[in-house]
Formats: sequence, structure tokens, C-alpha cells
Amino acid sequence: MDIIGQFPLFYFPEYGSAWMMGITGTIHILASHTSVGAAMLFAFLAYKAYKENRTDLYPYMKKYGMFLLIFSYVIGSISGPGIWYTATTASPNGISALIHNFVWVWATEWVFFIYEVIGVFALIYFMGKIDNKTHLKLTYTFALASVGTLALIIGIISFMMWPGTDAYYITGSASDAFFGINAFPHMFLRIGFMIMMSGVIGLVIASAMRKENLSLANELTKKMGYISILGGFITLFFFMWYMHTLPDNAHAVFSFTKDEIIQSRILLTIIFSVYFLLAIIKPNYIKPSIASFMIVVILVAGLWPGEKLRESMRKPYVAGQYIYSNQIISRDVPGKGIKSELPILEKQGLLQSNPFIPENLKVITDENKLAAGEILTKMSCSNCHSLEKTGKYRPLHEKLHGMDKEGIKGILYAMGVGAFPYMPTLPLPEHEYDAIAEYLASLKY
Amino acid sequence: MDAAALLALRDPAGIPFYPVVFQVLYVLTWALHIAFVFLSFGAMGLSLYGTMKQKTNPHWKILTPHLIQTGKISVSILIVLGVAPLLFTQVIYDPNWYVANTLSGMWVFIFVYALIVGYSMYYWYYYANKASQGGGRLIGTISFAILVFCGILMHSFSVTSIMPNDWMNMYAPNGVIDTSGWTFNADLFRLFFMVSLSIPVVGIFLQNYSQFLSTRDDFSNDFIEYTASLGTKLSVYGLVVSAVIFVAWMFSANYLFHPLTLITIVGVVVLLYLSAKNTNSYITTGVLVVVALLISAIRELIRYDIMQQLGYNIYDYPVNLDIPSLLMFLATFLVMGGVGVAYLLTMAWKVGKTQGIFDGSKDRLVTKLGNYTLAIMSAWMIIYFGWGMTILFSNIL
Repeated sequence: MDIIGQFPLFYFPEYGSAWMMGITGTIHILASHTSVGAAMLFAFLAYKAYKENRTDLYPYMKKYGMFLLIFSYVIGSISGPGIWYTATTASPNGISALIHNFVWVWATEWVFFIYEVIGVFALIYFMGKIDNKTHLKLTYTFALASVGTLALIIGIISFMMWPGTDAYYITGSASDAFFGINAFPHMFLRIGFMIMMSGVIGLVIASAMRKENLSLANELTKKMGYISILGGFITLFFFMWYMHTLPDNAHAVFSFTKDEIIQSRILLTIIFSVYFLLAIIKPNYIKPSIASFMIVVILVAGLWPGEKLRESMRKPYVAGQYIYSNQIISRDVPGKGIKSELPILEKQGLLQSNPFIPENLKVITDENKLAAGEILTKMSCSNCHSLEKTGKYRPLHEKLHGMDKEGIKGILYAMGVGAFPYMPTLPLPEHEYDAIAEYLASLKY
Repeated sequence: MDAAALLALRDPAGIPFYPVVFQVLYVLTWALHIAFVFLSFGAMGLSLYGTMKQKTNPHWKILTPHLIQTGKISVSILIVLGVAPLLFTQVIYDPNWYVANTLSGMWVFIFVYALIVGYSMYYWYYYANKASQGGGRLIGTISFAILVFCGILMHSFSVTSIMPNDWMNMYAPNGVIDTSGWTFNADLFRLFFMVSLSIPVVGIFLQNYSQFLSTRDDFSNDFIEYTASLGTKLSVYGLVVSAVIFVAWMFSANYLFHPLTLITIVGVVVLLYLSAKNTNSYITTGVLVVVALLISAIRELIRYDIMQQLGYNIYDYPVNLDIPSLLMFLATFLVMGGVGVAYLLTMAWKVGKTQGIFDGSKDRLVTKLGNYTLAIMSAWMIIYFGWGMTILFSNIL
């Protein structure tokens, strides 16, 4: 019997395990984008303060810097490895594929991280302890290091969607995988968002300074309004380009909710345009409470649905269009000597191929059929769907409501021949389809 | 777990360079990571003691906020340094890493958020203590407890990862599959040894602190002597305690008479002698780094042996060389990392030695290092985009 590289399965009841990565990812994106954007803004402010001898800007920078340090670096530096960790529990093969393709890229990013983490403390705590010229130079290097971290992670997360050409599959080269067709539009889309976030955070700090220095607070509020608008425009512009670099399966998923997404994005664009214009025209109206609330709006109405969409659009893959979200390798990658696992599954089934199936479940009998069906369902479906009758996250009960065993089997057969572009092709032996269908039917959705 | 199953769990993509390089990088970066874990725990713990004496004792009035600050920065550095061993371990020991994480999925999730809460509370502690002397003790204690809890979880993941013969029992006890992710394991001697090292490490840190500040006029001789003597006491007593637990751990793991263990014991004795004499704490720190590397190597030896005995030899991992990405790493690590970190640390050293404002623009070394760092980073960006566009155009045109 052939064994395939499947790990123990971790399943979070009612939600599945993938949502844990989604939550951590959303928090990380807010923090990390803020930190890179803030690093660029910090360099800009330091330049103005130094060139125009604006000593009044330094206290603002100090406050901004403390916020930057506590919010983005504490949360960002933990949630970054945190995504990695939580993704590992949900998609071990997906993360393993990224690690084994891009270990040196990640190691390079780590060098930038080290500079960033030591640099952020130097940047803030050396203010007032070193001369302004040296401090300015430090802010430049810090901004470059921050952008460097983006430049290095972007190719990896773009590869998760797809490389966009056949080159990687033929050569197996990390360069061909990294510089795929959506890497650069993705990068500038995120730079736009980072600039916008630096302005949005800047509005919180500027509005909080109003009592201490009204004119400076108003001047900075206006500036942050302009910066946010610029960032928002870059984000929208590159988002359109980015969408054109995505694969067909991504558009197939996107088409399900396209109208709803476009409507919500238009609404968000209007709300934030009004907010930024208000900052420019009537800076006095921007209070810390409003500015903080708008960050929550970005997190809840912008980032969370955006990340969910990005994750959905990758379906049925989790990395490089060769690993399915259920951790099965779906195609050959000759450049790396990788073979599709689908022929093995078709011949042997999952139970015989997975090294973590206990002996008593390897062969399906009348006695163990439900238990075997349960673990087969979890292995095949739970990365994307919650299984319980009361499941919350992409629940199967919504998809299979009222269906009997034969109806469910019909869907499984269709999946076996790859009938749904956004679902994995799952060619299993008849007895495994039967066990899955029996288990799902027993749940009486 | 038999060899066939373990070998099937290796990533089919292979690894992009020779396994021994990843192994060495793992040992090296884990040692750096754990050194800051020890320092952060030691500094945090001692700062909590300091909050009780801060109001009445003039030495602790100065020392406590410095310890809090040290702990705070150390946590950030230990996190960033910790990323590297996590990266390198899963390149060559992917079965161990991924099985441990999936078996303990729930604990992994708790670990991430506990670390965010614990570290955020540490900032609260910092500000509370800054606002009033002796303040923030309760918050600091909770934060410390949460961060120690995170350390214990990390220990559990490591221990689970080297128990391949028990994985099936953890996942499917009595043939019933458990997908809850609540697997937890501990090796108490190993855990206590790691925790105990926080004491000598903070002791040697205090010796360094004292030596560093001894050239500053704004710190009294009394204070300098007090911190040096406190550091010596902590490092000597701490090292004795750690050495006893280390022997117990090595005995229980059947490695007591292994040459690497014996060399480590010699290293600890040298460390004990140097820290007791305290003539130059910077040399003591150098020996401490060597001892940390030896401990890291022992951990790796134990893991290597366990896996090798089961038929999983990392040196047989299929290699798919990827030279361009390796060159990028090497060039960035050696050139940009070397110059950049030297720039930051040189500046930090000189700022710390200066009373008042340090004028870096008049310091030749700092100015040069700053200019080089800026130039290297700019060149890096140009090469990155040039490389990317060349690859992209050749693949799409």
C-alpha cells in the first residue's frame, strides 16, 4: 500500500479550523499594514521636521511612534508567526509546501524583521537622545526595511493563489513561483492600503493632540486626510488590476457574491471618502472616538470580509494550485518531482493511504461505518466546512439540507470527476463514498 | 510510527539546500532565541521583586524600571529570533513539527492569543510602573504568569514533537480518533532546567549592566557595586541550581556521559568561575553564548537520535537545489543584516554611554554604518525589482 503525507486532523467544533487562521490573519493584516504604512509616514514626517526645522512635529512623532510600537509591533510581531502557527494546525501540507519552496525567502524576510524590531525601539527611544540628522537617516532605513518585509512576503502569499504561468511547475524554481503574475499588482494594492492605514491611524493621534496644540492637530489632521485619500485611491486602482490577474476558479467563486461585494465596496468607498474629506475640510470634526471607530469599521467591514473572500477565491486550492484545501496533492509538479496523490486515492482510498488512521478503521465494516464515515468527512470537507447540524462556518447543513444518502452520494460522485471548479476533485473508492454519505445522512441536516 | 510513515510525511518538494545547513542554522538561531527567553523571564521576575523595594530602596528605584524595560525589549527580540528556528525545524523535521502542531491545535491557538494578551499587559505594567513607583505589580504578575504559561506550551509542543512512537496513541487512543487538539506533554526535568536558566542569565546581565554603566558619571559607585554583587549572587546560585537539574535531565534522557554533555558541564563550570570572579562580564557573556549553543546542540542531538533510530535520517532528505533564493538570503543576511544590525547596535552602545544627546552625525563610524545601511537597502530594492521583472517578463512574454 502507498502512504500519502497526511497529518493528524485538528477540527474546531462548529467552525472548523480554517476560521482560526482567518481571524488571526485579519488581525495581523491590520497591524502589519499599519506598521509598514506608519514606517513610511514616519520617514515623511521626520524629513519635514528636519528640513523645515519643525521641532513641533517631534512630540507628534513620539506619540505616533509609541502607538506604532505598541499596536503594530506587539500585535503584528505575534500575529505574524501566529498566522503561520494557526495555518499549520489547519493546513499543514499547505504551509509545508510554502516552507519547502520559499524557506530562503522567509529567512531573508527574517533578516529584515530583525532590523525592524531593533530599529523600532531605536527609532522611538532614541528620539531626543540622538541628533535629528542621524534620527532622520534611521527613519529612512526603517521605512525601507518595512517595505522590504512586504516585498518578501508578497510573492509567497501571491503564490498561494497561483503562480499564473507554467514556469514554476516545469522548473520548480522559487523565483518562478515567487514572481507570479499577480505578485506586483498585489504588492501595490497592499502598499496603497498601508498608506491609507497610516493616515487613518494618524487621524487618531492627531485628533487626540487637539487639547495640547490645536493648530498642529488641525494641520496634521488635514495632512492625514490627504494621505488617506491617496492611499485609498492607490488601493482601488491596483485592486482592479489585481482582479485581472486571478485564475478562473477565483472568478467562479467571486461571481457568487459579486454584486453584493461590489455594493459593499462602493458603500465603504463613499463612507471613507466623506470621512477623509471631512478631515481635510473640517479637521475639528474629527474626534478620537470617531477616528478609533473608523478603524473598527475597516477591520470588521473591510478586512474580515476581504480576507474571507481572498481565502474563498483560492478554492479549491490552498497553495500554488497543486495542493487542495483538504491537503491532498492534486497535480504533478515535475520541476520538484511532486506527484499527484489522486491516482493513489482513487485506487486505495483515504483510509488505507493516511498513516494516522488506526487499524480498526482502515477497513470499513458495518460496525465501524459511521466512525469511518465521520473521519473521512472530516478529512475531505472540514478544512472549508463545519459539519455539525448547528455548524456556523460554511456549514454543510446549508448545502445538504433535506438530502438523503443517495442525494449526497450523487454530489460526491460529481466531486469525484471534478464537476465543481471551486471544489476539490475527490476520486474515492465506492465504499468510502458510501461511508461518507451514510455518515452525513445520519446527521439529518 | 514506522520509517515508511515518517518518510511519507516529508514534503515531496524536497529541500532547497543540504540538510546539514538547516540543522546548523536551527541550532544557532534556537540558542539566540532561548538566550532572550531566559533574559526576559529573569528580568521580568526580578522586576516584580523590585516593585516591592522600589519605594524605599534607592538602588531598586533605578534598577526596577530598567529591568522592566529590558524584559519588554527582550520579549520582542525573542519573538523575532524565535521565527528562525521555527522555520528551519520544519524544513528538515516536518513530520515532527506538523504532527505536534495538529495534535495540539487548540493549545496552539491559545498560545498565540495568550502571548498577545500577556505581552500587551506587560506594556500596561511598564506604564503603570512609570506612573507610580511600585505600581503595576498585579498586572505585571499576571503578565509574567501568562508569558510563563506560553513558555510551558512551547515546551509541550517540543516534547510532543519528539515522541513519534506515541503519536498514534495521542491521536487515536484505543482506536478512537480525537481531533480536539488538546494534546499536552511535559518533560519536567527539561522544563525546570530551561526555566532555571533565567536566574543565571539575568545575573550575568546585571554584571554587564553594572560594567556598562560604570563609565557613566550619573550612576553612583554604590549602585554599580550593588548591581554587580547582585548579579554575581544570582548567576552563581542560579548556575548551581541549573547544573543540578541539567544532570538530572541528562541522566533521565540517558545522555549523561555523552561527550557533548560533558563539554557542556565543563562550559558551565567555566561560566561559574568567571561569573563568581566577575572581572570582565563581557567575556562571561561570550562563554554563556557558547553554553547556550551547546544546550541547543544537545536538544538537537536527542531529536536526531530519536528520529534516526526510527529510520528517519535528515541527511537523506531529497535536495532540490534553489541557488537564486539562497544567494538572496546569504547576501541579505551577511551584507545587509551584518551592516544594518552593526549600525543599530553601535548607535545603541554609544547612546547608552553618552550623557545627554549623542551626536551621531559627528561620529565617523555611526555615520558610515548609517550611509552603508541606507545604500545597501536601496540597492536591495533595485535588485529585487530588476530580478522580479526579468523573471516575470521571461515567463509571460
